[in-house]
Amino acid sequence: MRTLTLIRSGIASTIQDSGRRGHQRNGIPPSGAMDNYALRAGQYCFGHYADEAALEFAYGDLAFVTSHNCRFIVTGAPTVVTIGNTERDSGRVEETSENQVVTIKPRGQGIYSYLHVEGGFNTPLQLGSRSTSPRERIGGVEGRYLRDGDTLPLGSDTRSRITQCPTPITVQDRDLLSLRFVPGFQFDALSSAAKRALDTGTFSVTPRANRMGIALDGSPVNTGVQSLLSEATCYGAIQIPPDGKPIVLLNDRQTVGGYPKAGAVIEADCQRLVQSRPGQRVQLIPVTPQEADRITWLEHHYIETKLS
Amino acid sequence: MEFAVGPAGNLGLRLVFSETPTPSLTYGLLSIQAQAQREFAGALVDSVVGYTTLTLFFQPLALDREGAQHWLEERATNLKETANEPEAGCKTVSLPVLYHPSVAPDLEWLAEQKNLSIEDIIERHSGSPYFAYATGFAPGFCYLGTVDEQLTTPRLTTPRASVNAGSVAIADRQTAVYPCASPGGWRLIGACPTPLFDLASNPAALIAVGDSVKFEPVTMADYRALKAKLNKA
Repeated sequence: MRTLTLIRSGIASTIQDSGRRGHQRNGIPPSGAMDNYALRAGQYCFGHYADEAALEFAYGDLAFVTSHNCRFIVTGAPTVVTIGNTERDSGRVEETSENQVVTIKPRGQGIYSYLHVEGGFNTPLQLGSRSTSPRERIGGVEGRYLRDGDTLPLGSDTRSRITQCPTPITVQDRDLLSLRFVPGFQFDALSSAAKRALDTGTFSVTPRANRMGIALDGSPVNTGVQSLLSEATCYGAIQIPPDGKPIVLLNDRQTVGGYPKAGAVIEADCQRLVQSRPGQRVQLIPVTPQEADRITWLEHHYIETKLS
Repeated sequence: MEFAVGPAGNLGLRLVFSETPTPSLTYGLLSIQAQAQREFAGALVDSVVGYTTLTLFFQPLALDREGAQHWLEERATNLKETANEPEAGCKTVSLPVLYHPSVAPDLEWLAEQKNLSIEDIIERHSGSPYFAYATGFAPGFCYLGTVDEQLTTPRLTTPRASVNAGSVAIADRQTAVYPCASPGGWRLIGACPTPLFDLASNPAALIAVGDSVKFEPVTMADYRALKAKLNKA
């Protein structure tokens, strides 16, 4: 069997594809790659059309060996890839040989990087996906974060198409990140002070950020909304707990919740938020559902153009 | 019935009724959910029924917003106020429960608070069947209602860091079984040996929204025997 063994498993490393669909009704979050564009870019480079899984790792720190000569690419947050004496910036298809140690180091920008190998990581499909949901212990390797010494099975297809990955659009230095959101859920019931705080306030990304959600800091938003009957959450939902500090819910979110929600940040901007480091200043900008649809269409069109 | 349809982010639509939750309303929401699955087929990624809500999630670029909104409004308008019928898949699930302080750290506390005997609590908690209004929080976790008014109890101010799998719990007028070990703020009054979520089963979750759940009190010996049998399997 072709395998890859982790010498240094890094931070919050998991196997992810584009996520698990159709199981939120049973309390199972979609999970999937936090930076979906970076996942797709790598899949594209290898001609992966069956949603082959990649290894997601945070803060760019990883080392591995493979059991055979193997091509790979690192996408997402930029890193430096070292094979033997060769050191190169990530974003290119590289080739390593049997038992050669490959080291990946961060370049100080973004959060999540993706290691793609030809044929993808061949961990078992569970409920139609290889994505890891650590809290639910589903997918990946025993449903958990990867550890030093883990040996991962690899697919065997060789379909490599291109060697240079498009520049990541999600990772960029920004003074102020705009998070466009579609108002909804309890938005109309929010106090006018809360609406004003959301509209005019500037927030910052806190270290309380993981695959479940990202907590924002700023002037507290006092919703004035009492506790609610549990209802579905959604990707990007701006949940406001009693402390008034909004949390943007992401891939590993709980599928239902009882805290008020002001709406949801659109998909395209969530992809940029997940790559933002603590301290990044953000502002929330309401858009109509129609504007959101238009942005979604443009963004997907742009990605398709980049990947062809 | 009064309702509203609005966005759930840029890929979802949410129908909410301004009504008190009832099994009839849930049956109505389940019926619209089933119709939506047929109507939108591949464009619909997932859908979730909450206490008074139905949320539909669509594929990017596959949502005809105006059309889907109109369709949902029409279904909601036509929904009967009462006596909606259960969907075909709705079932009754019977769950054995051991009510004993050794597996239920809040049982004696609750008896003291409510000035009831433990037997009273068992009778009131297991006396009549519950209805599954919502799922979520963890795979296989179901929000069951409605708990006898005498047993109503608020959540812990600080949730426990870990609650054992199978713990039977109360919060306000809801009850539930924790399917796996997790943090939890509900009051623990019993333990159920039956697994509520198993990836090897189809469906993986034992209880779905719209099901009825009946708790059957068992003795310590029965509980141990059931646990041993399951461990073997």
